[in-house]
Amino acid sequence: MSRFSTGVLAALVAATMAIAPALADKKTNSIRFAYDQVVENVDPFMNNVRIGVIIGQQVWDTLIYRDPKTSEYKGQLATAWKWIDDKTLELDLRKGVKFHNGAEFTADDVVYTLNFVVSPDSKVVTRQNVAWIDRAEKIDAYKVRIICKEPFPAAIEYLAGPVVIHPHEYYAKVGPQGMNEKPVGSGPYRITEHSVGKFVRMERNPDYFKESPKPQPKIDKVEIRFIPDRQTQVAEMMAGGADMIMNVALDQATQMKAVPTLQVVSGETMRIAFLHLDTRETSTAPQLRDIKVRQAIMHAIDRESMVKQIVGQGARVLHTLCFPPQFGCSDEGAPRYSYDPAKAKQLLAEAGFKDGFDIDLYAYRERNQTEAMIGYLRAVGIRANLRFMQYAAMREANRAGKAAMLHQTWGSFSVNDVSASTPVYYKFGPDDVSRDPEVRDFLQRGDSQVDPAVRREAYRKALALIAERAYSLPLYSLTTYYVANKDLVFIAYPDEIPRFWEMSYK
Amino acid sequence: MLIYALKRLGLAVLVAVVVSALAFLLLRASGDVAIALAGEGARSEDIDNIRRIYGLDRPLVVQYLDWAAKMIRGDFGTSLFFKTDVHALVLDKMPTTALLALFSLIFALAVSLPLGILAALYPNSWIDRLCLALAVIGQALPSFFFALILMIVFAVMLRWLPVSGSDSWAHFVLPTVVLGYYIAPAIMRLVRAGMIEVLASDYVRTARAKGLSSRSVVLKHALRNALVPVVALSAVQLGFLLGGSVVIETVFALDGLGYLAFQSITHKDLPVTQAIVTLLSLIYVGLTLAADLANAWLDPRIRVGGGS
Amino acid sequence: MTDVAAIPVLDLTTASSGKLLRRRIMAHRGLLIGTGLLAFIVLVALLAPLIAPHDPYAQDLSRRMIPPIWYEKGNWVHPFGTDNLGRDYLSRVLYGAQISLLIGAAVMVISGLIGTALGLAAGFFGGRVDMVVTFFITVRLALPLILVALAVVATVGGSLWVVILVLGLLKWDRFAVVMRAATQQVRVLDYVAAAEAAGASTLRVIVGEVLPNVLPQLVVVATVEAASAILLEAALSFLGLGVQPPLPSWGLMIAEAKTYMFFSFWLIAIPGTALAVLVFAVNMVGDGIRDVSAPAGRG
Repeated sequence: MSRFSTGVLAALVAATMAIAPALADKKTNSIRFAYDQVVENVDPFMNNVRIGVIIGQQVWDTLIYRDPKTSEYKGQLATAWKWIDDKTLELDLRKGVKFHNGAEFTADDVVYTLNFVVSPDSKVVTRQNVAWIDRAEKIDAYKVRIICKEPFPAAIEYLAGPVVIHPHEYYAKVGPQGMNEKPVGSGPYRITEHSVGKFVRMERNPDYFKESPKPQPKIDKVEIRFIPDRQTQVAEMMAGGADMIMNVALDQATQMKAVPTLQVVSGETMRIAFLHLDTRETSTAPQLRDIKVRQAIMHAIDRESMVKQIVGQGARVLHTLCFPPQFGCSDEGAPRYSYDPAKAKQLLAEAGFKDGFDIDLYAYRERNQTEAMIGYLRAVGIRANLRFMQYAAMREANRAGKAAMLHQTWGSFSVNDVSASTPVYYKFGPDDVSRDPEVRDFLQRGDSQVDPAVRREAYRKALALIAERAYSLPLYSLTTYYVANKDLVFIAYPDEIPRFWEMSYK
Repeated sequence: MLIYALKRLGLAVLVAVVVSALAFLLLRASGDVAIALAGEGARSEDIDNIRRIYGLDRPLVVQYLDWAAKMIRGDFGTSLFFKTDVHALVLDKMPTTALLALFSLIFALAVSLPLGILAALYPNSWIDRLCLALAVIGQALPSFFFALILMIVFAVMLRWLPVSGSDSWAHFVLPTVVLGYYIAPAIMRLVRAGMIEVLASDYVRTARAKGLSSRSVVLKHALRNALVPVVALSAVQLGFLLGGSVVIETVFALDGLGYLAFQSITHKDLPVTQAIVTLLSLIYVGLTLAADLANAWLDPRIRVGGGS
Repeated sequence: MTDVAAIPVLDLTTASSGKLLRRRIMAHRGLLIGTGLLAFIVLVALLAPLIAPHDPYAQDLSRRMIPPIWYEKGNWVHPFGTDNLGRDYLSRVLYGAQISLLIGAAVMVISGLIGTALGLAAGFFGGRVDMVVTFFITVRLALPLILVALAVVATVGGSLWVVILVLGLLKWDRFAVVMRAATQQVRVLDYVAAAEAAGASTLRVIVGEVLPNVLPQLVVVATVEAASAILLEAALSFLGLGVQPPLPSWGLMIAEAKTYMFFSFWLIAIPGTALAVLVFAVNMVGDGIRDVSAPAGRG
């Protein structure tokens, strides 16, 4: 205890003395970005939160880059790539790239990073982003091969998203924990200070390689500060204490448009919202086993109004469980469930629930949308009780068969391929609470075939079946609202990643 | 005195043991940590694996003893969420909360002492009524509501003070006022009641009869006696402030222990939650022990009676 | 313990005669105001189903955020306006009174039963019993209330009854402290000894002789605890770990309105004011009872 108390005293003194100068926005060419969730570890393999993905893209590079404007794949750390066979991808690597600590980028970095994250001992948090990789092999200093466990045509998309490359010597020495404390990547920004749970400070990487498809950064300094309460973020924006916030709700965004020092920018995101229903025999809500009840739920909710009134501009009503621009996503042949409370009541009566029933509705974000759904369900006689919790707790309750009805959302880790969305919930994985072998077989076919036309057709059939059998209710894609200093120039992309390296002040 | 002190110390140690056991069991009994740890996309195998790695599959008693033994050595374990040393994490956040609690107590005393004394000197006057009104409002206003209103007025509209953060003394002003105002009424009432009682007592009357000036009677005799219970209450309130600043720290994004506790609770980060709850309990036990010993020293009746 | 000393124990042994008491009650403005307000809120809560203009749960997304009548765009269909889901705010506030009162009362009863039983036992029997109870009180006081409540609610899952139970099981300390001290004073009185000597059972002496004499203090603590329970629920709900939607708890309404506070201030001001008025009323009643029942008037 004594070690502790002297430490407290010392820190106390230090805290009273330290009066850090606040970063100032436009004058110092810096951005103060506020976010509500903290990141447990900035190593992109070691967190599963959006802010982690955002930081990861600023600080690290991936082998391949997907241009967010054209969806075209470009070489980043790799210069060229080709499939040698169904399972083997060969990549040529870029020469002359340096990590933030000065180390030269070579094949060793790729091989070490990939082999490390696929090993079970690495305890990576984003296992499903790398689970398709069997191993990586070095051919020479600037040529590697990645071998997949089975044919995996979406590999390029993953290499252009969540799979970043670490400097091998440093990563081997400090591990993910050391990477969190003193992060080293090769990206356009380097982290100068990470105060866990408080802020991440970054500065422009002056040696960022000129050939990168990410343009050279213009903003000198970026501070990401964690502010848990939404209204405190809004207050900071209005008082000029922050330059940018995101995921602002429609109402606040609309109201803040009136503030002359601010601009509001919105964009559709890849994140889709849906009601996930446990329809298995073991379901804790046996009512959901009846397809009429599930259809009643679908007819009870006015998705058009929700999109217009509380979700926001750019969002669209979905009829199948995927984000429309994703490869393989289609709602052809899938039934449309219109808003029709009378029909919902009638279906419930036919199913034997004339007086409705009680059910728990689990949710973890966009609470006002969940509440709106509760209101709609109540109007047709389904009395839903909100169980609001952290993502992991909710998902686990669902997997364990305790939570039968979930207001889920899925962002596909910004991967632009259906393999990253629908199969997660319907291919007999832990999140599959319907277990329909027919659906599974179509999805399996879509995931592992190489011919794009065959893939598309297989996914289309799976998606139509899921909708027909009403296993889950696709709601809508979500919109993200950004509120920023009116002089900041930036674009809102559907992958929910603000690209600080592209931003500048007017 | 020594016997009383030893007895009191023994009691404090016993309380500390029971409190730490409670904190451990209460929090461990509910919820599965391994699940929270595994994160998005984890499979059942991963969860079992985590359970084994963190020793979550052992009997509770063994886990408690192991945990308590480590606590005593200053090893608070590893955060399940941040994966870092809890000791370092808590140490990092402690000063902010300690400063906030200290500032709030000072603010509360600075407001409630003079007002309480004046109210006692002029009972049923306008100043007494003002104090009563302040006290009643302070008790009725939800602290978070008050905090939001102060934020709107002083940070957003007037821009006199920063909205959130903990970088400079200016960041502490609003949270201090909110928390301080929350505990001030209790102190004010105690000062007022104590002063009235002491002013009516025989020896003050005697002092006045001897011709001492009003001011010296109040300051030298009455106040000193009325302050004894205030010291005790202040110690208790300081303990309360340390544990009660969760809401205010969250609203003002003050990166202290309270906010860390809230984060750890919502992330099911048990080692951190347990460490904070236990630490705050121990601080409270320490503060009350100190206050009791101080009181016993000031007022011999306590150590003889030993009771309340 | 320190806390025992910190709470002033009143000398209630000289019972006021009925007439005097009545005169005091009528002369005490705070008590009258408090009782009046509290009675009004209770009435509103009981009559909510009759006087609420709308179903508090009925939403209409096309009628969201209508301001109350004292704003320019307000209208009499929704005197307090509507919330972010288009629900009638007046109806929600009226029904919210039920929830806040229920929480205050239920927590008060649960913690009151536990605390009074412990306090009476400690004060009456003294000795070992007293030591054990005092120890319990000390342990309970050492636990940071809000953090423990948050942690338990977070793991069990928030709901009205969970919040009531958790707060009820945690907040008995002040009851125990005050009841213990008051019982100690009453215990030594002649008629208690007389009743014991007359061969009355222990339980009978406690219930028949001791309890009536400590009742005024009990009522005072009960009001303080009810008020603090209402505020605590609001704080828990504010952090998202209290009562869950769509229940119109005032604390929850404040929590849901906080992001609207800069542009639609009424959304937070209405439930905030309602909450403050209720807590104010309960406190005034408590203060009033204390003053009136204390022999020397206020102070």
